[in-house]
Amino acid sequence: MAAGGNNRSRLLLIILLVTSLFLITLDLRGVSLTKGSRNATQSVLAPIQRGFSDFFSPVGNFFSDIKNFGKTKAEVKDLTAENAKLKKQLVINADVQGQLTKLKGVLNLAGRGGFKVVAARVIGRGSASTFSQTITIDAGSSDGVAKDMTVMSDLGLVGVVKSVSSSSAIVLLMSDPTFRIGVRIAGSQSVGVLQGEGSSHYSLQLLDVAGTIKHHDAILSLGSDNNRPFVPGIPIGYVSSVDHKNASLTQTATVTGYSNLNALGIVSVILQAPSGDPKDSLVPKPTPTATIYVTSSAKPDTATVNTTASTTAKPSPMPLNTTKKATK
Amino acid sequence: MSWSRSGVNALFLLFIFVLQEAAISKVNLPFGGFSIYLAALLGLMALEDRSGAIVVGFIGGLILDLSPSADSPVGKWAFVLTVVGYIFSTNRESIGDFTKRPIAFVFLTAFGSVITLLAFLIIGLPIGENNGSVWHNLATVLGNGIWTLIFAPILLPLLVKWRSATLTSRERE
Repeated sequence: MAAGGNNRSRLLLIILLVTSLFLITLDLRGVSLTKGSRNATQSVLAPIQRGFSDFFSPVGNFFSDIKNFGKTKAEVKDLTAENAKLKKQLVINADVQGQLTKLKGVLNLAGRGGFKVVAARVIGRGSASTFSQTITIDAGSSDGVAKDMTVMSDLGLVGVVKSVSSSSAIVLLMSDPTFRIGVRIAGSQSVGVLQGEGSSHYSLQLLDVAGTIKHHDAILSLGSDNNRPFVPGIPIGYVSSVDHKNASLTQTATVTGYSNLNALGIVSVILQAPSGDPKDSLVPKPTPTATIYVTSSAKPDTATVNTTASTTAKPSPMPLNTTKKATK
Repeated sequence: MSWSRSGVNALFLLFIFVLQEAAISKVNLPFGGFSIYLAALLGLMALEDRSGAIVVGFIGGLILDLSPSADSPVGKWAFVLTVVGYIFSTNRESIGDFTKRPIAFVFLTAFGSVITLLAFLIIGLPIGENNGSVWHNLATVLGNGIWTLIFAPILLPLLVKWRSATLTSRERE
């Protein structure tokens, strides 16, 4: 009996494995039945995700907040007193206000580039078991969204639309290791390829042998034929470190993205790009930095401190820089 | 395993899948996050008999293949989880009844999730899938294993209770 049971389970195993391989083959050959099944699931899941999104939005970052608990402990006392005052003044829901700010930022960036966009709320993230980095947005084909459209946030590029249902779409984030985009360096116009690495850092390889990469260079999208999947001129990030290996033919660098892909609330999908390339007009504006000059006077043990405001070419998402120059 | 049992298991897994996609994946857990679906599926496989574990693995894999965020070909998860179901069922016979050995049950589920995710990554190599850097993937896989180890003691007793409540009197014998 046991041997019969073993044989039966082995036969079952073989049948199911063959069925799985058959499905894999169908999918790799691009049979629409298998592709359609995921779109159907997305259509069913989107309303549920939207419902859960409202509930989970305050607790979504609970664990990352715990990590920073130690750092903020000293501030708790002051903030508690301040919080009591603010509660009296709070008339607008903080979540709505935050979304409005992000939406304003997104529309501002899109307006500067002359893009026709549709704004969307992030209602889901790719699950831990899929290994691909994606988000689900609440805009779909009924809003004009189609596959291979560029998605951006208030700070720059987010990713590209991977699949669309009537009321939602899946966006492949630019941090996904399969993500590749043609880029150019603002200013020098050197061209290269940027690749996702699963984090907020990206690897950049220049295609131009004579080109050079400098620290803090702004990186913009190069654009594709007919603006699909990428429109030109979208800010992507800035060069955070340059690889100085002599062995490689072209220069490589690590780029830090402008958009924080872990805290996306509102994004916009670019439906139509302007006829002309926005060039470098979308590069984040320079941040004012305070420069302090310390000049020693004739009297011993005294010094004059002059503070002047100047600008550096660093992008706005970076913290305010204070440069100190001391002369004796 | 009967058709009705397969149907009940499929509906249960579908519910957990929706929970995973709509709610659990919204929580930004460090180190790659937790897959409640994988933990529940592996727990269920450990409780079934040999052919039951294989069928549950296949059905569970097919449901996971439907995930809109998945980039892998449809059928890959079904393939991996059918194999894992078979491995689970053969080891189950040597370990015995998991409901009487809760610690072994928790560790097997956590270890199983690590093995399953590793198998998923390795099987992706021959079909040309690019899942990124090895360290990043290892962190995701191990992170998932640790979260499963943490949450399994809460999840698995509920799973055992649910299963015993849905068993027919004939299946209990």
